[in-house]
Amino acid sequence: MNKTTLGKYNRSVSIIGVGCTPFMYTVDNPETDGLTEGEMFGYAALKAMEDAGVSAQDVDFYFHGQASPLNGSNYLTPNIQIGNWFGMKGKGSIHHSEACCTGYLAIEQAVNAVASGKYNCVLTGCVEFGDSVPFPNDNIETPKHPYKREKMTMDKFLATTSWLYDRTYSRSLMAPIELIYDDAAEDYVRTRGISAENMDDALNWMAINNRRNAEKNPLAIERTSFDDIAKEKGFDSAIDYLRSPYNPKMGDFLRMEGVERKCDGAAACIVCATDMIPEIAKNLNHKPIEVLGVGSAACEASTPHFEIRATEEAVRQAYEVTGVKPEELDLFFANDFIITSHLISAEIAGYLPYGEGWKYICDGRTAYDGDKPINTNGGRTSFGHAHAASGLADMYEACMQMRGECGERQVKKLPKTAMLRGYGGAQNVAAVLIRTID
Amino acid sequence: MSIKLEKVVQKFYDGLEEGKFLGRKCPKCGAVEFPPVYACNTCGSLETEWVEVSGKGVMKSIVLPAALSSKPEYKQMGKFAYGEIELEEGACFNGVVKGINKKKRKEIMENGKLPVPVHAEIFQRDGYKTVVFALDEE
Repeated sequence: MNKTTLGKYNRSVSIIGVGCTPFMYTVDNPETDGLTEGEMFGYAALKAMEDAGVSAQDVDFYFHGQASPLNGSNYLTPNIQIGNWFGMKGKGSIHHSEACCTGYLAIEQAVNAVASGKYNCVLTGCVEFGDSVPFPNDNIETPKHPYKREKMTMDKFLATTSWLYDRTYSRSLMAPIELIYDDAAEDYVRTRGISAENMDDALNWMAINNRRNAEKNPLAIERTSFDDIAKEKGFDSAIDYLRSPYNPKMGDFLRMEGVERKCDGAAACIVCATDMIPEIAKNLNHKPIEVLGVGSAACEASTPHFEIRATEEAVRQAYEVTGVKPEELDLFFANDFIITSHLISAEIAGYLPYGEGWKYICDGRTAYDGDKPINTNGGRTSFGHAHAASGLADMYEACMQMRGECGERQVKKLPKTAMLRGYGGAQNVAAVLIRTID
Repeated sequence: MSIKLEKVVQKFYDGLEEGKFLGRKCPKCGAVEFPPVYACNTCGSLETEWVEVSGKGVMKSIVLPAALSSKPEYKQMGKFAYGEIELEEGACFNGVVKGINKKKRKEIMENGKLPVPVHAEIFQRDGYKTVVFALDEE
């Protein structure tokens, strides 16, 4: 497969502010029903500016990410539609979509813009209505109500998800669009020599660990403990419950609780030239988090083992350009809308040992209170998946953990170095390496 | 150098109508792109040439369809699985292989038969023909 050698940034770039909405089903709650794109993105953007101690006038440019603006918002140029909501009228901006990988490549784009010297301080934000569509939901072309939304049906979601795949060959060949659910699990079982039952336990324990993290996260969409759910349904333990028909097989390996909870949300970061922080962010009251490097690779879905191959290359690039070693990672995030991602990407990154990661997971060592924490916000299965916004929500969590500001779910050892593995859009992959500046 | 603005996709599907499996071969490194595209993803050559492939190959991984990963239309294929296909000409891609169910997969995996020989067949979908594969032994 093609390989790329990255060059170093022309100057150091840091994340100095983060903001994130709760991930939620907006239309299900009268207090959030009717929220709009500008309100969601604007909230995250303003919270990130406040966190950085900057005003909108200190920010030179903004990046806007949304996976599916036509379907979710009836917009073609969604950066423009919301540009007046956070004090940046007249400033330049651009919209991008890499579907579920958008929020991770949102960091890549912002950092490149600052590292090049063109801008000193930029905003990068993402918003998604993954659970609802503009009202009326008859088709994507008709004029819509100014703010009313309605639930996105699963049929509509699956139909529009097919837009992710190459129309010329991949949809026609069928396998490329169907392998997303189980390819990584099949590969893991075959190459590591474990049983299907071992894999089933690993998938279930990832769901448990994600939920344990989300239980202590007020921004997470699903916070009910699996222990409590199991008890209510008459099971002795969470794992017994998750092995039962209450958690049905949806794929060859994948069960229901291993699939994303698609929802609505927004998140944003302020990205600044490190040497300009004293001038631009005079009121910054926490340590900056430097972006050391971002590896990226993309394998169209007809490529065998697309997620694995692209992750290997993105991770390789990130380690090569930064000189960071896997053993230096204190914290790991994986976009696990198919929960298997969580295991295989942590092994590819060397955060968990090859072939042993499933045991770490089944022993609970990857929950927030373990020695190898992963997805401390709850991951896509419990924090939720507001598609474009998920990557920046992970960055929000990573920065808060590295600042020691996560309260009850704070990991045991204050993390200094973290990797975020982005994935999505059939399929883009990013490996983002960050480190606290002392 | 003869880079052409060319209807590669239409020619591929026209080939299937005639019972041919068409790919593109790199004149520099010999790698075959299947399904066909303009350039070589192995050596980066800017051009490739039409070649008819045999359709013979092997299946290197097996994933069975399930609730999330199947569609009513696929039932016409009978029992089948998804997986990595490698053609004898070297091209690798994700494809469908007919003739595999849970029992068959178990037999293949337990007897160490992977990669298992397969051959291409033409399958009629709604308005066009596509490529699927079948186990050689079936």
